Amino acid sequence: MTNHWSLETGGSPTQAERLGERIGIGGVVSRADTAADAAISFEAVSKWFRRKDLLVHALSRVSLDVRQSEFVSLIGPSGCGKSTMLRLAGGLLEPDRGSVAVNSQSPAEARRQKRYGFVPQHPALLPWRTVRRNVSLLSDVNRRQDNPGMSTDDQLAMLDDIGLTPFLDSLPRELSGGLQQRVSIARAFALGAPVLLMDEPFSALDEITRADMRYLLLHLWGQIGSTVLFVTHSIPEAVVLSDRVAVLGSRPGRITQVIDVSLPRPRHAEVEDSDDYHRVLGEVRAALRQGWSS
Amino acid sequence: MPRRPVRRAALLVAPFAGLTAFFVGWEIYVVVRNLRPLTLPLPSDVIIHVVENPGFYSRNGLVTIQEAFWGFWIAFFAALFVATWMAHSQFVERATMPVIVLMQSTPVAVLVPIFLLWFGFSPWPKILTAMLFAWVPFVANALIGLRSIDSETHELMRSVNASRWEIYWRLRIPHSLPYLFAAGRICVGLALVGAVVGEFFNSREGLGNAARVAQSRLLVDQLWGSVFVLAFIGVAFVLLLIAVERRVLRWHSSQDTDHRSL
Repeated sequence: MTNHWSLETGGSPTQAERLGERIGIGGVVSRADTAADAAISFEAVSKWFRRKDLLVHALSRVSLDVRQSEFVSLIGPSGCGKSTMLRLAGGLLEPDRGSVAVNSQSPAEARRQKRYGFVPQHPALLPWRTVRRNVSLLSDVNRRQDNPGMSTDDQLAMLDDIGLTPFLDSLPRELSGGLQQRVSIARAFALGAPVLLMDEPFSALDEITRADMRYLLLHLWGQIGSTVLFVTHSIPEAVVLSDRVAVLGSRPGRITQVIDVSLPRPRHAEVEDSDDYHRVLGEVRAALRQGWSS
Repeated sequence: MPRRPVRRAALLVAPFAGLTAFFVGWEIYVVVRNLRPLTLPLPSDVIIHVVENPGFYSRNGLVTIQEAFWGFWIAFFAALFVATWMAHSQFVERATMPVIVLMQSTPVAVLVPIFLLWFGFSPWPKILTAMLFAWVPFVANALIGLRSIDSETHELMRSVNASRWEIYWRLRIPHSLPYLFAAGRICVGLALVGAVVGEFFNSREGLGNAARVAQSRLLVDQLWGSVFVLAFIGVAFVLLLIAVERRVLRWHSSQDTDHRSL
């Protein structure tokens, strides 16, 4: 079956490229050209939470620039502020000190313009909507904005590409956990947003499904080239997926090290057999250990 | 799986089997104990009496149904309106909760004479009584339903700047449906009770009035006939509601038949 959704080289622009132009990221081909521009910028961000009478210092002077079309993972122990950083980037939380910018806009403004695709920890599918209607949910909401997301045809092509066509009219409760998360990821991509925020999306899955989902995510990302901020607890996941891995330490949450992952792209399962992969894996593990002991 | 059709048939027959056993047991008890009709009539006699007087019961039944119907729906929309405010504002919730508790603790029947003073012999005293009976379960369930949205789904909607209205319409209302249907099953009966209580006080028609007149004139058949018809109306509307619920909530886990055998 011809896949109209996937990126082709040469000839007329594909749907993925046209979508990339429409949402202002220029698709995969322009990724290198725009790499110097920060898509997400954290500037000395601090955040406190009040828990009853206790003031918890969640983040302390965190600075990080995520470049356009870059895939950056945040990794660290529980409670180190990874999800807080994600929510600050998404405008779901406000920093107490410092600033966060998304494509030179405030996160709140970017949110108003529907420039985020959010993938929560659990699939968060609406149980009364079929797969098809769940995928179009974010496009259906806040229609006043000029980001209508993918066309229905593009959505269907994408769903076909990731093997969801047989389940288009299924309800979420009829799907396995892995398929539900697949729908959740497709929903984020269907919005065609230039920034994707993913909060441990594979944490509830078994190891085999989880490994499968990594490459599915890479496949979809390879077609759109959005900027991705990805929260995970899994070192292999962070290394396989990312261009850079930001390691966080806790109490208070801070970035202790940012590690470049220089593995070639596109990445397939074989990358996990390479020496470079194991070297980076070791670096991240050491950084985590160092952050923990300090 | 050869046992599946048998199991389905058994499930279909079960309610009728239960009802038949109940009435046969009643019939046997009356015959064996040789009870007078004034104490407890034979159910077969009551059914024959109702069948022989279809005009009387359908006319009065229709009046009671109309009062209960309007009371039910006014209670539903009023509860949804109030619960929506409460779900969105802690201040409104705190301000409203004592009033709800007050209404719940006040025997509604004592308000009927007041309604009669306000509205006279119109259907409104009965409708208002039916509404007050049904209102509290509706508002309590609607509030839980509107509040029970998953925080991640809420965050997801906020990530695309969904308005309060969109979150309400696309998230809160569908989430509250299972709770509203559960309340609806209870409130069908309560609205009927409310309408009948309203009719007891002062009415020229309706099954409540028919029962009151029968009691004062010792018309045992009519008294029990009114009870039977009221019970039939209640069961019919609950079954109708269950049928609608099955269709509307086919996505909800409560509609799984498999887990009931666990």
